[in-house]
Amino acid sequence: MMWVVVGLWGGVVGLDVTSFAQCMISRPLVAASLTGLLLGHPAEGAVLGLIFEAFALTILPIGAARYPEAGPATVAATAAYVEAAGSGVDGALLLLAVVLGLLWERVGGASVYLLRRVDERVATAAGTGVGGIDREVERRHLAAMVLDFVRAGTVALVGGVVGAALLRVLGSWWALGESLPLAVLGVAGAAMLGAALSLFGGWAERRVAFAAGVLCGLALLLLR
Amino acid sequence: MTQRLGRRVRAAVFLRSLAIQGSWNYRTLLGTGFAFALLPVLRALYRDDPERLREAVERHSQIFNSHPYLAPMALGAVATLEAGGEDAAVVERFKAAVRGSLGTLGDRLVWAGWRPVCLLFALALLLAGAAWWVGVVVFLAIYNAGHFLLRVWSYRLGLREGKWVGERLRRYPLGKAQRLLAEVGAFLVGLVLPLAVTGGLVGVEFGPPWIAAAAVAAVLGIGLGSGIRTPIVLCLAVFAFVGLALRMMQ
Repeated sequence: MMWVVVGLWGGVVGLDVTSFAQCMISRPLVAASLTGLLLGHPAEGAVLGLIFEAFALTILPIGAARYPEAGPATVAATAAYVEAAGSGVDGALLLLAVVLGLLWERVGGASVYLLRRVDERVATAAGTGVGGIDREVERRHLAAMVLDFVRAGTVALVGGVVGAALLRVLGSWWALGESLPLAVLGVAGAAMLGAALSLFGGWAERRVAFAAGVLCGLALLLLR
Repeated sequence: MTQRLGRRVRAAVFLRSLAIQGSWNYRTLLGTGFAFALLPVLRALYRDDPERLREAVERHSQIFNSHPYLAPMALGAVATLEAGGEDAAVVERFKAAVRGSLGTLGDRLVWAGWRPVCLLFALALLLAGAAWWVGVVVFLAIYNAGHFLLRVWSYRLGLREGKWVGERLRRYPLGKAQRLLAEVGAFLVGLVLPLAVTGGLVGVEFGPPWIAAAAVAAVLGIGLGSGIRTPIVLCLAVFAFVGLALRMMQ
């Protein structure tokens, strides 16, 4: 039952990426937290969501560019982690889930590329014209959306099932303790958050606003 | 001959515009989606003339592109042009003229502005200690308030201005909005970095060596920008491999 939920939820998340509404439930922060909630582990989902979001911030879906698809891969990685680790934060499994998720994003991105090639035929091929050309356009368009739902659901489901199996096996092989992987993830995440400054013009153009933010962040740290 | 578009027709086009990218492909981009979203208007205008309906649907299924949140502006303007009986060649020239600018404007304003700003705000809340659901709910509420306002505003502007929408758009201070978002975004990156560098991202408190390592990594990220992503992912994969390989060698 859990994997049915993961597949369906992955399909919904995949639709949100491009095909429908783009309300950003497909952002890793949201997708991971809600996957965790659906599977009874929202706090663990949120931890994964924070990390994946740091990695997804700098990906811009501009034009026909090919890019990693974070949403369904985040669902897969979160489901795999929750299935393998249960409650609490396990440093080794967290790192392995993040690595699997970041690699699975590439598979998701490749599936998007493939779907868009298929949609060249689905959406534009001359059809039977049954019921008029207007009905045909509707049929083609909705068929392409159904394909996207199935594609994303499959990416999430396969990634989740394979990821959970891998995490169960690999987790017992881990040799570097619990705290080191957490520290490495924290360092990697800090690098990605720093890279997000490039979205806004980088250091050269925004150093004053950035420095003001750093000061406020330090003040927040002191007040805690 | 100008025909008036009913409220239900206009609402149907707006709702369908939410799915305008449903059949995005490399040949027509969101062309089929444009025709899909415009169908209520075309059916209302040409319901008694199947040949003109067919011709209009084929025309609007051709290549088109736009940022999805600003596509309603083009849909509204084209609906007004079609209802006004405008020549098909004029409608096509209008679509060709706006498709590049609506894409670029939306990419800068939303994908590289509003969205990362809202996400960084949510990250700041979470790193400052807010509950997970607070970050998620605040992000979805703030982001989508701006998102749907933009969609509704752009659709109404397109409906009202028709082919003059580009002229009208230039009067809005969108460049200023972009710069403001960039300043706020840079401030938020600065705000979250000290919280992340001290271990907040993974929920632990780093000691001085790891704080120093994370600070260096953040500086590298600032310097290298989005180009650092692939090397970081590869480093994580190598680290994971080493952590597993060590046990196998024991």
